[in-house]
Amino acid sequence: MTVAEVLAEVSKDQVFFDESEGGITVSGGEPLTQPVFVEALLAACRARRIRTALDTCGFADSRVVRRISEYVDLFLYDLKLMNCEKHRRFTGVKNDLILHNLRILAAQRSAVIVRLPVIPGVNDDTDNIDALSDFLSSLDLREIELLPYHRIGSEKYNRLRLCNRMEGVDPPGGEQMETLAARLRRDGFCVRIGG
Amino acid sequence: MDFVCELEADMNERVNRLRRATLETTPRLSIERAALLTEFCRKDKTASVPIRRARAFQYIMENKEIYIGKDELIVGERGPTPKAAPTFPELCCHSLGDFEILNSREKISYSVDNRARQIQRDEVIPYWQGRSMRDLIFAEMTPEWKDAYEAGMFTEFMEQRAPGHTVLGDVIYRQGLTDLKTEIKTALSHLDFINDPEASAKRDELRAMAIAADAVIRFAERHAEKAEDLAKAESDRGRQAELYKIAEVCRHVPAYPPRDFWEALQAYWFTHLGVVTELNTWDSFCPGRFDQHLYPFYQKGMEGGTLTRDKAKELLECLWVKFNNQPAPPKVGVTAAESGTYTDFANINNGGLKRDGSDGVNDVTYLILDVIDEMHLLQPSSNLQLSKKNSDAFLKRGLEIVRQGWGQPSIFNADMVVEELLRQGKRVEDARGGGISGCVETGAFGKEAYILTGYFNLPKVLEVTLNNGIDPRTGKKIGIETGDASAFSSYEQLVAAFRKQLHYFVDIKLRGNQVIERLYADYMPAPFLSLLVDDCIAKGKDYNDGGPRYNTTYIMGVAPATCTDSLAAIKYHVFDRKTLSMEELLLALAHDFAGHEKLRRLLWDRTPKFGNDDNYADAILADVFNAFFEEIDGRRNTKGGNYRVNYLSTTCHVYFGSMTGATPDGRRAWEPLSDGISPVQGADRKGPTAVVKSAAKMDHVRTGGTLLNQKFTPQLLKGEDGLDKVAHLVRSYFRLGGHHIQFNVVTAATLCAAQADPEKYRDLIVRVAGYSDYFCDLTRALQDEIIARTEHEAFAPAIPETATV
Repeated sequence: MTVAEVLAEVSKDQVFFDESEGGITVSGGEPLTQPVFVEALLAACRARRIRTALDTCGFADSRVVRRISEYVDLFLYDLKLMNCEKHRRFTGVKNDLILHNLRILAAQRSAVIVRLPVIPGVNDDTDNIDALSDFLSSLDLREIELLPYHRIGSEKYNRLRLCNRMEGVDPPGGEQMETLAARLRRDGFCVRIGG
Repeated sequence: MDFVCELEADMNERVNRLRRATLETTPRLSIERAALLTEFCRKDKTASVPIRRARAFQYIMENKEIYIGKDELIVGERGPTPKAAPTFPELCCHSLGDFEILNSREKISYSVDNRARQIQRDEVIPYWQGRSMRDLIFAEMTPEWKDAYEAGMFTEFMEQRAPGHTVLGDVIYRQGLTDLKTEIKTALSHLDFINDPEASAKRDELRAMAIAADAVIRFAERHAEKAEDLAKAESDRGRQAELYKIAEVCRHVPAYPPRDFWEALQAYWFTHLGVVTELNTWDSFCPGRFDQHLYPFYQKGMEGGTLTRDKAKELLECLWVKFNNQPAPPKVGVTAAESGTYTDFANINNGGLKRDGSDGVNDVTYLILDVIDEMHLLQPSSNLQLSKKNSDAFLKRGLEIVRQGWGQPSIFNADMVVEELLRQGKRVEDARGGGISGCVETGAFGKEAYILTGYFNLPKVLEVTLNNGIDPRTGKKIGIETGDASAFSSYEQLVAAFRKQLHYFVDIKLRGNQVIERLYADYMPAPFLSLLVDDCIAKGKDYNDGGPRYNTTYIMGVAPATCTDSLAAIKYHVFDRKTLSMEELLLALAHDFAGHEKLRRLLWDRTPKFGNDDNYADAILADVFNAFFEEIDGRRNTKGGNYRVNYLSTTCHVYFGSMTGATPDGRRAWEPLSDGISPVQGADRKGPTAVVKSAAKMDHVRTGGTLLNQKFTPQLLKGEDGLDKVAHLVRSYFRLGGHHIQFNVVTAATLCAAQADPEKYRDLIVRVAGYSDYFCDLTRALQDEIIARTEHEAFAPAIPETATV
C-alpha cells in the first residue's frame, strides 16, 4: 500500500476524529522497522491535522525516533522489563537502546504513555516494578497503562504449528492488576488498566 | 431474573403494584366496543356520515364500562378493564376463525371468551360483513393491485386500521373541549351557504366535532361519578381522599384547560382514549413533545409548593402503566396468524428544539427519562430528539438507559427532522414543533396528517425485473415485460429495466392509495381526532379529508440494502469483472443456489456490500434511492398534499423475505430481507463507523424518516468511556445527516439462551425495528433474525474482511 492509499482509508474516518478528538494509531508488529513509510504517513497526517499516535517497543535507531517524533502527537511506548539481561532472554534484544530512546523522548517533552504488558512470573515482580517506577520518575513521565497478558494468540500458535513459549502462563487476575495499579499510583503515576 | 426486583427498589409502593399488575395481566379481546357500535348502527337513522360517526362514538363513550383500579391516580381504559383490546368491525371484521387463531396462537395471543364469540357470530358479523372498510377496499382494487399485493410487492395499511399516524400538539393544554366547541360555533357562523358549495358538508363535519367533544366530556364525567361512588364506599381515608381528587380532576379536564400537572396528564389520557376509541388509528396516539407541554405545569407546581419531583414522577409512572395497559387491537385474516407485537407505537419525544429554535431540554425531560428508566415497560416507546444544540449530558443520560439493553430510547437527529419537514414546505415553527412518531416517521405535531400507506418491497421489483415481469415464486406474470435479463449488455440497461418495473408497481400502489383515501374521506371521518389537529375546525374539514394544515402520504421503501447489494453483485460480477454470466446467475437463483454453493459464496463474500463505507456499493444505494424517490416524491394525493418516501420496515422485511426468492447478493430464498436502511444482516464487516458512513450517504433530507439498527453488546457501553464512544458515534452520524439510530445492547449468547429457555427471560426486551418488544413474544424467524444481525464486539471489524470461498 502507498501512503496515499492509507491516507484515503484514514480520511474516511475524519468525521469521527472531529467528534471524538481521535486520530490514527500506527501500530504493528513494530512500525519503526519501516521508518521511511511511517514517517511519510505521519507527516501526511500532520499536514491534514489528523492526530497521530505511535505504538512502539522503542527498539529503533535513535535518529529515526528523533525524526519521526516531530510528527507524533502521542507515543504508546512499551517497556517490558527493566533488567537488561532478562529483557534479552525474553525478547531477544537488550533494553539499553529502548531506555535511551525513551530518555530522548522525555527530554524533548514528547507526550508518552508507557505501557507495561503484565506477564505473571516474567515482569510483575517487585524488582521490575520498583525499577520501572524509579526510571519513569527520573524522566518525569507520569502516565502508565497496564495491559494484562492474554492468550488470544495461543490458538494462532497452534494453527501455525509454532511453539508457544508462553504456554502455561495464566493471565493476571483483576485483583492483581488493581494491586499493581495501586502500587504505582502511590508513586504518583496516573495509571490505567486495559488499553 | 433479579432485574425486576432491582428496578422496583426505586419505585414507590403504588407504582410497584401497578407495574406488576400490568405485567401480569394477560391481554384479552373485548367485544364491548363492537357490540355497542353494532347496537347503535342497527337503530340509528342519521343520514350524515360524520354525524352518524360522531353519534356512534358518543354512544360508545356513554355506555362503555368505566374502570377505576385500586392504586390508580390517572384513570380510564380503552376496554372495560386493563389489557382488554377492543375491535373495530367498521374497519375490519374478525371471522370466528380469526378469533380462534388469536385465542390459541403461541405468540401475541388474545384470550377470547364465549360471550365474545357469540356476540361476534350473532350480532357483529351479520351486520358488518361486506360493510367494513376492508371489504370496501378490496372490492375497489384492480386485478393488477391484487396480484401485486398477493405477491408480496407491497402491503396496504388501511385494510386493517384507520389512518392516524398523528401526534398531538399543545392544544389540550391551552384549551378545553368547551373552548374548542366555542371555536366550532364561530366556524359554523362563518359558513357561506350562498357561495361555498361545500358549506353543508362543513356544517355536518363541524356538528360532528361538537358531538364528539361532548362524548369525551361525558366520558370524563362518568369517571368522576364512578370515583365518587368508590370514595363513598372506601374505608381507607387516604385512598378516599385520592378518589375525591380523581373525581375533581375528571370534572375539570378535558372540558376545561388543565390547571396543574395532574390535570395535564389526565387531560392527555382522556384525549388519547377518545382518539383510539373513535377509530383504531395507526400508531395509536401520542403526546409528542410531552416534556415541553408539561414543563409549565411542572414549573408552576414546583414554584407554588404544590408539586414535588417525586409526586410528578409518580403521576407520570401511573400514566406509563396506562399506556402499557393498551395492547394493540388484534388484526384479522392472514396477519392474525403472524402479526408480531402487542405494542401500539405511541412514541414519546424528549428534548430537541422549542418552536423558537432554542434548546428544548428541560427538567421534565430528565424526569421522563428517569420514568422510562424505572418503568422499563414495552409501552410507551420513547426517543431522544437530539439537536446539535442539546448537551452531551442529555445524550448520555439517554445512552445510560440504552445500555441496559431493552432497546429504548431510540435516538433522532432533531435538526435533520426539521430540515426534512422544511423541505416538504412546512413553516419553520411547525417543523420545530414536530418530531417523530411510530417508528421513525417525521411529522408536524398537531398540524399534520402524515399517513403511512404500505411497505414496498424493493428487492421484489428487482426479482420481477430479472424475470421479465414474472414472479418466479408463483410463475404468474405480475409485472411488465422489460426484456430478457440475460440479454442485457450493461448495468445501465438493467437499472433502466428496474426503473420501468418500479414505475409500473408504484403506479398500481398509488392508484390504490388514492381510491382508499377517498373511501376514508367519504365513509370513515374521525370528528374527534379532527378537533385536535389544526386547521380542521377552521376549514370545517375532517382529518381524513384534508382538514389538517399539512397532508402527507407515505410509501415506505423496504430493504434498500438487499436491493443495493443485489444490484452491486450483478454490476460487479456480470458486467464489470465478467466473473459470471447473467444466465449462470439466473439459473443459480432459480435453484435457490442448490448445487451452486460456490457461486453463492462468491456473491456473498467477494462482492462490494453496502454498509462498509465502500463507494462502489454505496453509489448503487443512491441509484436505488433516486429511483424510488423520483417515482413517488411530490406526486399529489387527494387531500391537497403530496406523496413522500421513508425507509422503515418494522417487521415487514421478514414477511417480504418470505415472499422473495433467492437474491443476487447471495441471500437464500424466503430468508428475511435487510431491515430499515441497515446493511444486510452480516454484510457489514468494517464496524459501526463504516455502517454510519454508508448509511449517511443516503440523502435523508429527502425522506420522511429512515431507520438504522445497530446491535451492541453491553461491554461496548461500559463506563463513561463506553458512553463517550457511542455518543461520538451518534453525533458523527448526525453530523453527516443521519436521521435515526437505535441500539440493541445484548449478547447473541443471551438471545440464544432466551430462545432456549423463554421462561427465564420473560422481561428481556430487544429493539425490533422502530420499537422494542419482548424477545420471547417474537416469532422464531424474527428471533433468529435479531440474533443474526451483526454483533459488534468492539469498534473494530469483528469478522475477517474476506472469508475464503
